[in-house]
Amino acid sequence: MSASGAPLALKLENVRKSFGLTEIIRGVSLDIPTGQRHAIIGPNGAGKTTLFNLISGRFPPTSGRILLDGFPINDLSPCQINRRGLSRSFQITSVFPRMSVFENIRCGLLWSRGYKYSFWHLLGREKALNEASEQLLDRLNLAKRRNVMAGLLSYAEQRALEIGITIGGGATVILLDEPTAGMSHSETAYAMDLIRSVTEGRTLVMVEHDMSVVFGLADVISVVVYGEVIATDRPDRIRANKAVQEAYLGTEAA
Amino acid sequence: MTMETAQPGPAALVRSIEPAPAAKTRSHWLWLAAVAIALALPWLFFNWSTGRHSGFVLIMLSEIGLMTIFALSFNMQMGQSGLLSFGHAILFGLGGYCTAHALNAIKAGGLWLPTELVPLVGGLGGLAFGAFFGFIATKQRATAFAMITLGLGELVAAAALMFTGFFGGEGGISTNRVTGVSLLGASYSASWQVYYLIVAWTLISTVLMRLQTQTPLGRLANATRDNFERAEFIGYDPRMVRFCQYLLSGFFAGIAGALYAILYEIVTFDTVSAPKSATALLATYIGGVGGFYGPILGTILIVLLQSGVSLLSNAWLLYVGVLFVVMVMFAPNGILGLIAMHGPIARSGRVAALIVPYLRVLLPGLMVVGAFVLLVEMASFVTIGAEQGKSFKLGGAMHIDPFTLPPWVAAAAALVVATVWLRLEARALGRVWDGLSDEAKRLGQAS
Repeated sequence: MSASGAPLALKLENVRKSFGLTEIIRGVSLDIPTGQRHAIIGPNGAGKTTLFNLISGRFPPTSGRILLDGFPINDLSPCQINRRGLSRSFQITSVFPRMSVFENIRCGLLWSRGYKYSFWHLLGREKALNEASEQLLDRLNLAKRRNVMAGLLSYAEQRALEIGITIGGGATVILLDEPTAGMSHSETAYAMDLIRSVTEGRTLVMVEHDMSVVFGLADVISVVVYGEVIATDRPDRIRANKAVQEAYLGTEAA
Repeated sequence: MTMETAQPGPAALVRSIEPAPAAKTRSHWLWLAAVAIALALPWLFFNWSTGRHSGFVLIMLSEIGLMTIFALSFNMQMGQSGLLSFGHAILFGLGGYCTAHALNAIKAGGLWLPTELVPLVGGLGGLAFGAFFGFIATKQRATAFAMITLGLGELVAAAALMFTGFFGGEGGISTNRVTGVSLLGASYSASWQVYYLIVAWTLISTVLMRLQTQTPLGRLANATRDNFERAEFIGYDPRMVRFCQYLLSGFFAGIAGALYAILYEIVTFDTVSAPKSATALLATYIGGVGGFYGPILGTILIVLLQSGVSLLSNAWLLYVGVLFVVMVMFAPNGILGLIAMHGPIARSGRVAALIVPYLRVLLPGLMVVGAFVLLVEMASFVTIGAEQGKSFKLGGAMHIDPFTLPPWVAAAAALVVATVWLRLEARALGRVWDGLSDEAKRLGQAS
């Protein structure tokens, strides 16, 4: 545990979530310090994505507290949580399919730059905004695809675009849900570099199945099994952890 | 109707990409041409010997103008935000009622407002009622939104017959546009003055609605349409986006309603009724929901059918219905979608190769339409036309007696034969089309 006294970007206190009679998240507590790259792993159905949905406000937790930079966000809506500096991507690619790549990126920048619901700014004239969007496109290596409809991009390109939309607003806490799922080997390597560079100086929490990505990116790993965190530790220690090996890594790591 | 998860077809994906600089200047020329045509058109029907304008043409053109604003405002919800409204006319009609009362107040001397600015009263009325109805309807999206607007439409239509103080009951509210208050010194007693007033407001409204698509709110409306959940996670409240968009749409619908009140000098409850809402929906779908300009094309076509074909046939509404069904079945992206489809082939310079297949489709196509129209007209004649004391003529000369069997058999046979022929030709066209678009794709990738 990194109890070094660094400020916590994200803190979960005994968070529980039930759907009907089924308890999916059964008392999760997590401390994620600012600037950490934190991976959440666990077998299918362990509740990793549900945990993301609770943190990002898609559903409210049944009980417990979630604090973002020390501020309780349990009862906030997704857009309010986003405005407080937390942004996420989705397990199933989620972009704006009938808008151009450039428009997708620009939309991601709008709120943080104070445009709100303005119907009096003409976007074509907002120089600083457009330059920032172009720069982000360059970083994502999507500049060539600028005017293509997002729905026509290849799968890997859509994933990169979604990461761009996610980080564009300047969020300090980034949640990525299986960012490399379904990618080829080379695409995964590229996505890892991209994630590493764009989350520089930010707090990253990601759910990931690909162990090479997890061990390559994460400073700290939490293992979730049946709605509970059974271990949170540095990657090398997680690898050596008996309980983790039995519950999850078992066959893969052996 | 697939509102929630409409997977964009290739044609739908062509639009909303920012036009290249060359296309931008071209669209400026289109705007100028459209304005020039709108200004000149009444003079083509000017009777130089009597020195009078054609009243019929002026009213039809005025109707096209105000219905264009109405359909574009409908598309701010439908195409831009993915909100299908079945009660859009309530904003139009209420704007019209507000205007009629304002005109009466101006005439009575209780209010000073030049006629040129009276449409703003309708706009503000639409905005105010839009705030109220929008607050209710935009809580939901997709099907639930459509159902709420359907209910609100019925509610207002019923209220229009109940609250006679504001709505004037079945007789509606009569008014007089000649208030004697004008910035330009125009009396607006002549139809041509009203027409140019409507042209001016149509231009202003169209430009403003076009610009609105390029603002943060306009883009976010597209974003919430495409993926409302993603929009939430970039900091936007989708409900607020829908609400703002509904409000602005109400403003423009109100302006259209105001122009209606000024044009006809009476506002009755059918301005808020479901058929009026349906007109906007039909015009938008036939023109094309995808692009900004689709509803304009659709409106022109619908009003021409409404004013022109209704003089010739009792069954004009049936033709509008069939046109709608055929468009939705075969060209879901409307007229504009059909035009946009040609983009890649036009860029590869091979559009001329389509002329012959098109002509070959045209011939059986016209035959299908002709035979169908003949059947409909005969049926209409047998049921109502004969009682109106009309006689049935084809091409002004050929007498046909629809009470005998032969014309029915001939028309039905022609319809069947032409349909089969049309399908064959359409298949041949399809093959040519596929070849050309593959070629265009290869060229596109090569460059």
